[in-house]
Amino acid sequence: MHTDIDDRKRAEALLAGEKRLLEMVAGGYSMSGILEAVCQLVESTASGCYCSVVLVDPSGTRLEHGAAPSLPASFITSIIGRPVNVDSGPCAMASYLNEQVIAPDLTSETRWAAYAWCPMALAHGLRACWSTPISSTAGKVLGAFAIYYDEPKTPTSLHQSLIEQFTHIASIAIERAQSETALRRSEAFLAEAQHLSRTGSFSYPVATDEITWSGELYRIFELDRAVPLTNELIYSRIHPEDIPFIREMMDRARGGDVVDFECEYRLQMPDRSVKYVHTVAHGTRDQNGRLECIGAVQDVTERRLSEEALGKVRSEFAHVARVTSLGALTASIAHEVNQPLSGIITNASTCLRMLAADPPNVEGARETARRTIRDGNRASDVITRLRTLFSKRDVTTESVDLNEATREVIALSSNELQRNRVVLRPEFADDLPPVTGDRVQLQQVILNLLLNASEAMSGVDDRPRRLVIRTERDEDDFVRLAVQDAGVGFEPQGVERLFEAFYTTKSGGMGIGLSVSRSIIESHHGRLWAAPNDGPGATFSFSIPRRHESVNGAGSLGAIWTPAVADAQ
Amino acid sequence: MVMRSLVSVVDDDESVRESLPDLLREFGFAAQAFSSAEEFLASDYVGQTRCLILDIAMPGMSGPDLQHELTSRRQEIPIVFITAHRDETVRPRVLAQGAVECLFKPFTEAALLEALDAALEVR
Repeated sequence: MHTDIDDRKRAEALLAGEKRLLEMVAGGYSMSGILEAVCQLVESTASGCYCSVVLVDPSGTRLEHGAAPSLPASFITSIIGRPVNVDSGPCAMASYLNEQVIAPDLTSETRWAAYAWCPMALAHGLRACWSTPISSTAGKVLGAFAIYYDEPKTPTSLHQSLIEQFTHIASIAIERAQSETALRRSEAFLAEAQHLSRTGSFSYPVATDEITWSGELYRIFELDRAVPLTNELIYSRIHPEDIPFIREMMDRARGGDVVDFECEYRLQMPDRSVKYVHTVAHGTRDQNGRLECIGAVQDVTERRLSEEALGKVRSEFAHVARVTSLGALTASIAHEVNQPLSGIITNASTCLRMLAADPPNVEGARETARRTIRDGNRASDVITRLRTLFSKRDVTTESVDLNEATREVIALSSNELQRNRVVLRPEFADDLPPVTGDRVQLQQVILNLLLNASEAMSGVDDRPRRLVIRTERDEDDFVRLAVQDAGVGFEPQGVERLFEAFYTTKSGGMGIGLSVSRSIIESHHGRLWAAPNDGPGATFSFSIPRRHESVNGAGSLGAIWTPAVADAQ
Repeated sequence: MVMRSLVSVVDDDESVRESLPDLLREFGFAAQAFSSAEEFLASDYVGQTRCLILDIAMPGMSGPDLQHELTSRRQEIPIVFITAHRDETVRPRVLAQGAVECLFKPFTEAALLEALDAALEVR
C-alpha cells in the first residue's frame, strides 16, 4: 500500500520531528510540553490514533498524569491515581511488568475486569489499546506510553518501531526532568544547610577575578545578588582595620604562596554593625595549571562575641590571680625581712643611747652592736633562703633545635595570634646548629616574646600586624632568635626599664615576663635585648651559644627562677 | 627609790625579745620579755605590767587572743601592738578593740616612745 516515496517522506518527517523533540529536551522545555509534543507527533504520523503518557509516581505505586493532548479529560482522570499492578488497566500493567501490553479489541478483552477498565474505555469510544513501558537508562520503569484507536487494531512492525523510537525520547525527557528536580532539591537542601550553619561558599579563579558566591554568602555580606561582584564591592564590606590583612592574604594567594588558608576577620555593614567571619579556603589547579580557590565563609559573630566575653572574664581572673599571688609573695618576703630589720633598728637605737650615757655603757653598746650584726646576717639569710626557694628546680640540659622548638611554640600560640589578626612570617635558617639548654624554658621565653609582640600590635590598625620570627647564626658560635613586630615600639631611653621586674608599658600586661625571660637566657650564658626597628615596632632578640660536644652536663647551667615564668603564658 | 613602770614584751621573735627590753630599760622602764602569750599569762608579771608590747601573729595564742583574754579577766593593761605584716586593715581593727597603738616593724625609737607615752597616760 505504501510507496517508497511515502515511506521516505514519512521517515524525513519523523526525523525532523525527533530532532525538534531533542532540541526541546536540550533547550530546557518543560517535561509536560515535550511529552505532549511526542504524543502529537505520533498522532500525526500514525493517523487515527490517540496517545497518552502516564508516569509512575516517585514511590512506584500509583500512576500520575504525563500528557494526553487528544484524549478526553474524563478518561485521563479515571486512569490517574490507579495502583501500579496487573489489574487496574493496561498502562498500570505495562508499568508493573515492564512489558508491552497489547489489547487489540476491548470488547473481547477480559483483563482488568476488577477495575472495570474496559467498560470505562469503551464508554469513551476507544476499542484498542497498546501500552509500552518507558524505562530509564538504568532499567527503572518511569511510566507508560499508550496508543488508542476507536477501532480494533493490532500494531504493525512500523507501529512498533515508532513506539520504540518515541518511548526512548519520552524516557530522556522524563529522566532529565527528574534529575533536574533532584538537583533543585539538593540545591535547596544545600542552601538551607548554608543558611542554618551561616556558611556561605565561594569559588575564585585567582587569575581572572571572576568570583562566584553562594546565596548565603551574599546574605552574610548583605549584598544584592543582582549586583555584579567586584573587588571594590567586597572590600567595602570588610572592616577597614582588617583590609590590610585581607589584602596581604589575597596577594599571597595570587602569588601562589598560600594555596590553603584559614583566617578570621571582621566585616562592617553599612549600619556600622560588625560581623566576625571565619574563612577556610583550599586552592586547586585545573588542567591548565590555573589556581582556583574554593572556600567557605562562616559567620561566627555570635560565637566570637561570647568567646570575647569569656576571654575578658578569664583575663581578668588571671590578672587578679597574678596580682593576688604577687601580693602574697611580697607580703611574706616583707614579713621575713621586717623581723630582723626591726631588731637592727631597736639594737642600734639602744646602742646609741648606751654610748650617749654618762658614763657610756660601752659593754652594753658592744653587745647591742653584736646583735645588730647578727640581725643583719639574719636578714641576709632570709634573702638567701628566698633565692633558694625560687631556684629549687634543676635545669635540664639537652640539645635543642631552636627551629623546631619555635615551630612548636607557633603551633601553640597560632590561635592567639590569629585572634589578634597577626600575620606571622617565620624565617628559619636552614643550617641552624643546636644549642644546649632547657627546651621548655627556652620555649617559654619564645612564647613570651611572641605574645608580647602580638600584644604590642593590638592597637595597630593602619598597617598589617606583621610579625617576623627569625633564627640565624650569630657571631662567636652563637645562635640568635629575633622576634620583630610592627607594634607601638618603645622610647629608646626606656630599653633597660623594659627588663625590670614589674615594669610594663601595657595596660593589661605583666612586666615580670621580660625580666624572667632575661634571667632564663642569662642562665643559658646568653643575652636578651631589645631594639627599635627602622620602621614601626621593635625587635626582641636573644643569642645563646651553640652546643659544643664537650659541654659537661647539668652543672654548666645556673639555677634560675621558675615560678614566675608561668606569668609569661 | 622610784618604782620603774614595767613594760612587758610578748613576741615569738627572738631578736625582738633580746633588743626591745634593753631599749625599754634605756628609756627608763623596767622590762620583761615573753616568747608567747601563754608564757606571759602564766608568769607573775601580769598584774604589775603597766604596758604590754604585743606581737600580733604568734603560734598558739595570738596577740588579739591575749588582748581578749585580758579583757575577760578584767586585766586592763594598755596594749601597743607590733607586727611585721604591713596590713593596713589590721591597725583600725585592733585600735577599735581598745589597743593604744599598732606599730609596723621596723619602727623607730620615736614612734615607740610616743606609743608608750600614750599608753601610760591612758592609765
